[in-house]
Amino acid sequence: MQGMSAAGPSTRDIRLDLFRGLALWFIFIDHIPTNVVSWLTVRYYGFSDATEIFVFISGYTAVIAYSRMMARQGWPMAAARIGRRVWQLYVAHIMLFAFFVAQIAWVSIARDTPALIEEMELMGLGENPYRALLETVLLKFRPVNLDVLPLYIVVLASFAFMLPVVVRWPRGTVAASFVLYAAALHFDLNLPGYPDGKVWFFNPLAWQFVFYLGAAAAVLGPRLAVLDRFKTPLTAAAVAYLGFSAVIATSWRYNALAELIPSWIGRVIYPIDKTNIDVLRVAHFLAIAYLVRLAVPASARFLRWRILEPIRRCGEHSLQIFCLGTFLALSAQIILADYEDSIMAQVIVSLSGIATMSIAAYGASWYKGGPGREEA
Amino acid sequence: MRCATLLSATAVALTVSWGGAAMAEQRECRAAPELLDLGHTLDVARAAVTERKELRVVAMGSSSTQGYGASNPRFAYPVVLKDRLEKLLPGVAVHVFNKGIGGQDAEEETARMKEDVGPEKAQLVIWQVGTNSAIRRTPLDKFRDRLRAGIDIGRKLGAEFILMNLQYVPAVVALPDEEEYARVMAEVAREKGTGLFQRFEIMRAWYNDGMPYAQFVTSDGLHLNDFGQKCIGRLLSEAIVKTIRP
Repeated sequence: MQGMSAAGPSTRDIRLDLFRGLALWFIFIDHIPTNVVSWLTVRYYGFSDATEIFVFISGYTAVIAYSRMMARQGWPMAAARIGRRVWQLYVAHIMLFAFFVAQIAWVSIARDTPALIEEMELMGLGENPYRALLETVLLKFRPVNLDVLPLYIVVLASFAFMLPVVVRWPRGTVAASFVLYAAALHFDLNLPGYPDGKVWFFNPLAWQFVFYLGAAAAVLGPRLAVLDRFKTPLTAAAVAYLGFSAVIATSWRYNALAELIPSWIGRVIYPIDKTNIDVLRVAHFLAIAYLVRLAVPASARFLRWRILEPIRRCGEHSLQIFCLGTFLALSAQIILADYEDSIMAQVIVSLSGIATMSIAAYGASWYKGGPGREEA
Repeated sequence: MRCATLLSATAVALTVSWGGAAMAEQRECRAAPELLDLGHTLDVARAAVTERKELRVVAMGSSSTQGYGASNPRFAYPVVLKDRLEKLLPGVAVHVFNKGIGGQDAEEETARMKEDVGPEKAQLVIWQVGTNSAIRRTPLDKFRDRLRAGIDIGRKLGAEFILMNLQYVPAVVALPDEEEYARVMAEVAREKGTGLFQRFEIMRAWYNDGMPYAQFVTSDGLHLNDFGQKCIGRLLSEAIVKTIRP
């Protein structure tokens, strides 16, 4: 198995599989509210969470997958393939929506608890279901936890047009992407949602910045070695910033520590917005990414450890595993809310979910005939 | 492989013990009785409950009302309010209309008060306000004027008011003058004779009793999480019922 992963026209950077797989596990765990196991995920130790990892790596792998295709077959073909991928994501999202509603309806009918049906009505599905369906197809109506794929769909659709641009002018693309991000923040721009007055939980106009940072990093590739000239100050800054954000994150759990944070710091940092991805979150993710790049070269031996294989497999089949994870998180939520919510139940539900995702990923690899090459 | 087993065993053990410690520290949803005093008799609402067996409530406000930060819409405070009021007032048909729009302040809410309260024929308006005005540094006089104007509009439509003041969260506590906005709200409530739900003081008491922010605030340091939303909904219904049925 291991010899085969080096096969193909170019060597697959298995760091991407590993960290994307890890992000998928984290997203699943964090989507279960008040889950004890969240203590093992990044968001407990700082400002950013697995969403940043997932979106950044998606941008990175999008360039790897489609820039070669563009070089060989031209931009129209590459753009068409990206379009096909966007369509797959869209179909996956709509399917997920149907499963999501069906699961709630099934549990509600099976257990004779109207509470769950009421819950769907609260989301906006009850008042006018036909309208809600229309808004679902338009991606304006996205019930809880079905927010990430629509973000990915919109951003990847933009990438079909941005691919030739980012390949030629990676730095310029980052600059333009930053301008859009800053404008979205400054003018409070977001896409409209449903019911009226709602907006996208993950604002694509802001979150696209993380995606294009990933895309530019992939284009620059070895040229990022420029950063190594400033290795000592950058490393020091990254470590200091991660330490600072860990202190702040810990202060949310220990009031004695919260008392020690001077209020001017609070005035500067809060609120640390997720919808419009606060600058502090971007910086936190970049600090992690920088240190990981230093600490984990693509040739690092541990990347190929057998014990990490389930994570890598999940990362290789990210769309399927992402959808499965979203569905499982909802199941976990229903189990915990309506049957039993104990620490043991949370641990068991989390571990079974991760096991299910891993088994599915192995299945997908087997079906593809070995470690598959996946599009972004 | 042995190393792997050991590693995962340690991870699970750590998670369980850490999480266990955190869970054990979970504090209850509660407030001292004097903090639940609305300072108003809610005569219109009482008449609606006793005579018409119906209570129509408009929840006016911003993200706290909309439910941003809750993992599920059923945890948003207006939904909890409806459920609790129905339980505490058996036989009364309770309607809660959610008019929360994230990011809005007193000015924007006053501007839509008429169209959002009128059609619902509400007897009671719960106006959650102050936080966004404080964050945007709206001058206190202007804030006061908007509150007065909003209350006047709602009253002309036959509704009684309960003002719900700011949330006690890191992003608000860090402001230099958040208590000034809370003070203005208390003054306006007294002057206009409306109810006041002292969310700021209630949540500050949680914190002073040792409840960590993580238990009731989301990681953005501003919005209430599931616990915060549910608890505010419960305490508010308790306060209303205590006033209507002393």
